[in-house]
Amino acid sequence: MMPEDSKGQPSEETLDRRQLLQALGAGGMIAIAGCTGGGNGDDAGSDGNGGNGGGGGGDDGGSDKQSVQFLTMGVGDNIKQFFEENNTAFEEEYGVDVEFTSVTWDNARQTVNNRVDGGQAPDVSRWPARWIPQLVGKDALEPVDDLMDGEFGEKFADGVAEGTMYNGSHYGVPWAASNKCLYYNKDVFEAAGLDPENPSLDTWDDMLSAAQTITDSDEVSVPALGLAGADAIETGSQYYHYHWSHGADLVDDEGMPVVNSDGAVDALSFYANLHLEHGVTQASPLSSTRQDIRQLFENGDLGMVIGHVYTGLNITESQENGDVDFEYGIVQVPKGPEGRYSLFTIDTLGILSQSEHKDIARDLIRFYFDEERRFQYSKQKGFLPVVKSVGERPYFSESKNWAPFVQAGQYARARPKLSNFSEFNDRMVQAIQEALADQKSPQKALNDAQSDLEDAMN
Amino acid sequence: MSLAEEYTGTDEDSRLSQSVAHLRRNRRAYLLIAPAAVFLLAVVGYPILETFRLSLYRSPADSTIETFVGLQHYVEIVNSDIFYRLIWQTGRWVLVGVAGKTLLGLLIAVHLKGDIKGRKFFRTAFLIPWGIPYAISAVVFRWIEHPQFGYLNAVLLKLGVIEQGIGILGNPDIAWLGVVVADIWIGTPFMAIIFLAGLQSIPQDLYEAAAIDGAERWHQFRYITLPQLKSVILMATLLSTIWTFVSFDVIWTMTGGGPISTTATLVIHIYQVGLQNGNLGRGAAYSVIGFLFLLLFAIVYLRVYTRGGDEL
Repeated sequence: MMPEDSKGQPSEETLDRRQLLQALGAGGMIAIAGCTGGGNGDDAGSDGNGGNGGGGGGDDGGSDKQSVQFLTMGVGDNIKQFFEENNTAFEEEYGVDVEFTSVTWDNARQTVNNRVDGGQAPDVSRWPARWIPQLVGKDALEPVDDLMDGEFGEKFADGVAEGTMYNGSHYGVPWAASNKCLYYNKDVFEAAGLDPENPSLDTWDDMLSAAQTITDSDEVSVPALGLAGADAIETGSQYYHYHWSHGADLVDDEGMPVVNSDGAVDALSFYANLHLEHGVTQASPLSSTRQDIRQLFENGDLGMVIGHVYTGLNITESQENGDVDFEYGIVQVPKGPEGRYSLFTIDTLGILSQSEHKDIARDLIRFYFDEERRFQYSKQKGFLPVVKSVGERPYFSESKNWAPFVQAGQYARARPKLSNFSEFNDRMVQAIQEALADQKSPQKALNDAQSDLEDAMN
Repeated sequence: MSLAEEYTGTDEDSRLSQSVAHLRRNRRAYLLIAPAAVFLLAVVGYPILETFRLSLYRSPADSTIETFVGLQHYVEIVNSDIFYRLIWQTGRWVLVGVAGKTLLGLLIAVHLKGDIKGRKFFRTAFLIPWGIPYAISAVVFRWIEHPQFGYLNAVLLKLGVIEQGIGILGNPDIAWLGVVVADIWIGTPFMAIIFLAGLQSIPQDLYEAAAIDGAERWHQFRYITLPQLKSVILMATLLSTIWTFVSFDVIWTMTGGGPISTTATLVIHIYQVGLQNGNLGRGAAYSVIGFLFLLLFAIVYLRVYTRGGDEL
């Protein structure tokens, strides 16, 4: 017997109105749930007040204002107000809306790529110079030779402008630059019997000798040297100083990996033995990111560390607040058998090819490169000035914190521009970790890395 | 027509007519679930198919151009050492994690069911780890295990157990244990609550009858509690296995898959290859393999546990 519905009609009869409404209602609820449950993953790291991923059409709420989408990374408390004030000033001066978004560095590359792939690229974006080939490969970055080859381009310090070039064109304007020096704790040096005012830290061997003296001293209880070894991109950044100064390179002129040269093996052996053989580092370098060792130093719990200018700025601020009371000095990164290098990083401000407001984007860039704004940005953020006239200000040349870093400009060396640099660096970090963990000899670790990188780049 | 064919034909006709009748009988039900089914196909089925399609292409990080490479990614993955290392590390992570959560969850549930002092407080307290966002719990555990700033090392140093901080998360041999402890801490409350609900549904008469027959507490647990909880344990461990397998935030936050990739699971590797390094095709191939693993596991697991004809 066939089942019947509540009205006693056979159920295989045609669909009645109530059933149809039930089905539509259920579908509608699911559709609503689906819509509300979604989210714009692109905005995950945003702490800005815009960033809705829209097309920037300027038709929101009936307004006829044009808008420009400006995406940047890592806007912390020390620089947030700078952007808020200047974005407002730009809006008032040019009569446009600035949709400002900041994402964390962890999400930066993916966010920009997602937005490019989804046809929702911002108009202007900060972008590390070493990642330029990746976006250029997608035809996603607009050449800005018209800006950089003209009067505007002349304001940048020598060598900085070249950092934004790829395949003969400028694909961004130099936005921020950073390099490294060696910090040392004067109190620790003094306690260990070393001269805190004229430390002998010219070469890696000098640094090792000082570290051994500190480690052997009964008057010092903190580790002598901070060594980064965690599974993080910055481990490579810390290590490359040793690599380059031993005459080793990462890629050859054709862009192919050359990471296992004799110099490279010497460099990695030295790096690993600081922990394995000499024991002059903090416990467990494999657990320590660059941030960890920098924090140790800023707390006064470390003898030496390679760091950025903002390490000194942070300590100065802590001293003024009475949080720490140790003295520190800054010297150049030690030199190796084949020279001295300071890892130099340039971030650019680029215009995305998808932008429909390229003129406004150029205006925004010009606006932010006003000399006083650049001075405030460098000062507040702790990045090297990229504009010549700003760098020549006494504020930098006479500052205890800034002067060594300005001087280090002569040793600047950037990582190679490779479309798959992230993968390349990951593999190098693995080799560093294998050597640090004593799982492989430096020779074997680098040979394996070379082999894997050759496979990956062919 | 032979007798066998007649029978077969009759069986097939019968099955067909039964199926048609079943569809007619339940037409309203099918109609009502149709929108949900279509929605699921759109949000689940389509991404799976798209992932499989993507896995057949090479998509370099610096280009949107995709080159068809067929099954090349799969062949390269299966022939690579890292694949087998990932299977081992993922299996270890899932097995120890799920076992730890299940055993601890069961232990807590059994004790929370008993008439203990402060039962309401403990029931609430045990839920707290589950209510905290995983990434935050992971940050806390990372801090606890930190060699310089960590609470664990500070206590051990104070007690004189160690002379120098131990970097658990930096030791390639034990880092995975440091992460799995955090995962167990996070996942145990869910298991405990599910088991507690299951325990409360077991009739008290069974225990009283067993007690009259002289059954010890262990025998009551072994022959009443466990069989009665079987379907609950099955579902809870199946869900926990899937969640642990696809777990990303705890590992990523604590170690980023290191040191030397010793805490990387298949999911972590997929993220690194596909999204960090931009090799979407290779990442998609790993994803398809992971999906097949889970599918196979779920089928085998359900078959084995429902062999006796039990329905979930």
